[in-house]
Amino acid sequence: MFGKKRVAVIGAGMTLFRRTLKETGKELAWEASKMALDQAGLELKDIDSVVMGTAPDAFDGVHMKGEYLADGSGAYRKPYSRVFVGGGTGVFAVDAGWWHIASGQFDTCLVVGEEKMSSCYPHPAYAFTTIFDPIYARPLGVTLIWIFALEMHRYMHVHGIKKEDIALVSVKNKRNALDHPCAQLGANITVEDVLNSEMLCYPVQRLDISPTSDGAAALVLASEDVAKKVTDNPVWIDGVGWCIDSTFWTNRDLYYPRYVQCAAQMAYKMAGIKNPPKEIDVAEVYDPFDYKELHHMEGLMLARKGQAPRLTAEGVTQRDGDLPINPSGGLLGVGNPIAAAGIMKCCEIFWQLRGEAGKRQVKGDPRTGLAQAWGDLMQYGSVVIMRS
Amino acid sequence: MATEKIQDVRRMTHWPGHMETDYIYTLGIAGERFFKEIKENGKIPGAKCKRCGQIFVPPRLYCEKCFDKLTDWVNVGTKGKVYTFTIAYIDIKGARLKEPTIYALIKFDGTVGGLVHKLGEVDICDLRVGLPVEAVFKPQPERTANINDIKYFKPVK
Repeated sequence: MFGKKRVAVIGAGMTLFRRTLKETGKELAWEASKMALDQAGLELKDIDSVVMGTAPDAFDGVHMKGEYLADGSGAYRKPYSRVFVGGGTGVFAVDAGWWHIASGQFDTCLVVGEEKMSSCYPHPAYAFTTIFDPIYARPLGVTLIWIFALEMHRYMHVHGIKKEDIALVSVKNKRNALDHPCAQLGANITVEDVLNSEMLCYPVQRLDISPTSDGAAALVLASEDVAKKVTDNPVWIDGVGWCIDSTFWTNRDLYYPRYVQCAAQMAYKMAGIKNPPKEIDVAEVYDPFDYKELHHMEGLMLARKGQAPRLTAEGVTQRDGDLPINPSGGLLGVGNPIAAAGIMKCCEIFWQLRGEAGKRQVKGDPRTGLAQAWGDLMQYGSVVIMRS
Repeated sequence: MATEKIQDVRRMTHWPGHMETDYIYTLGIAGERFFKEIKENGKIPGAKCKRCGQIFVPPRLYCEKCFDKLTDWVNVGTKGKVYTFTIAYIDIKGARLKEPTIYALIKFDGTVGGLVHKLGEVDICDLRVGLPVEAVFKPQPERTANINDIKYFKPVK
């Protein structure tokens, strides 16, 4: 066992993910938190500590968003901290929740992720323009999409991958999302729909990208002593990992996410996993763009370099395949309120391992699941491994 | 929830806000020297780490791996190769551009990193990863020590 105490997930909750929700960010955080507490059978008074994950302040439009969201996250007069590693925030918040309890300092921790991107008007994409280096990148008019386009193109070039191979991911995830009650963009689309959608920055087209969203999600973590008192089927956090690569994205091998590999190796070692594709039963892999699911499967060593498109084409990653990837519908289908989306992935693994995923339940009896997110300026990896 | 299909936040009861603040960014120790070299001499320098031997472009004050101060500056020339590229059809606010803009990551032989910049004087049909390109500088009197002192990179004839 790593740390002083084994850590369990005992409850999960999330709001609808939508382009625009009426609720304020605080109200969204409260709704998800309350739902997670209800599932755990706990009250706020039972919570010892709170970790809030939320991405750039510029989305909600409130500087010091961690403070702003504290009450909705159940932090009133409690040890509270906000964590933020860009898109990796949601899964990293669970990593941080883990060490709150594993350290022996707390017996319970409420982990909450929130994003209200609709406040940034007319489009939250504009808030991304100030995340880049002000001297070397921003004077060129850099946008988030063309940075991804450069990476996607490099990945396609190195392995000889075609757009139609990548589009299959978008088709799969949007179809999976039809079975998710909170999903924003569940749909039956075809590869042709993706290939015919608006060209934004070659090779990135409209249907390659997840939407911007409002939403929140939460998990309740507990030490083994508390978990065994309140539930018969806790889900254990057996591996955590996180890593950052060079902050100069020009210094990285764009075709392969080394930072995800490092984070995964840390988590696999902790969980005693030697052969990831054989030992992982279900995975929620970060998919803000369709190619990123493939890219990240390779970084997680769930597929060999350049082989994730083949597994996808063969149906291995479908919900009824041998290695289901993003049975929730992922960010492409459920939506992408940044930090909340990462926690949504952890919620999905929790529900899958408890057999509570309803129409989304993967076949067999999944015992080991993985959630991963990716963030900062394309170089941060965060991983959680859970077992039932 | 009644709000679930609303796309435009202005259709809800709301209060408009504004969070804009202005900034002045210093170029930094390494950046100032880098852009001075571009402005005054039309050269692209890199900084070499004496411990690991890597040459960083753009030059840095320190090596991110060894954490040593970089004092050894070398000229890396003005020619590089396209490592990857994109053709942007939208601007930073998401509006369609009248003419698409080509952006590329350009790597210089024997160095780590590279420059992201525009490509010019290039036919889209000729675009490919690996294309040799060279920097086209603005005329010297027009240069003001920033990344746009390089107008763009063009294919090497």
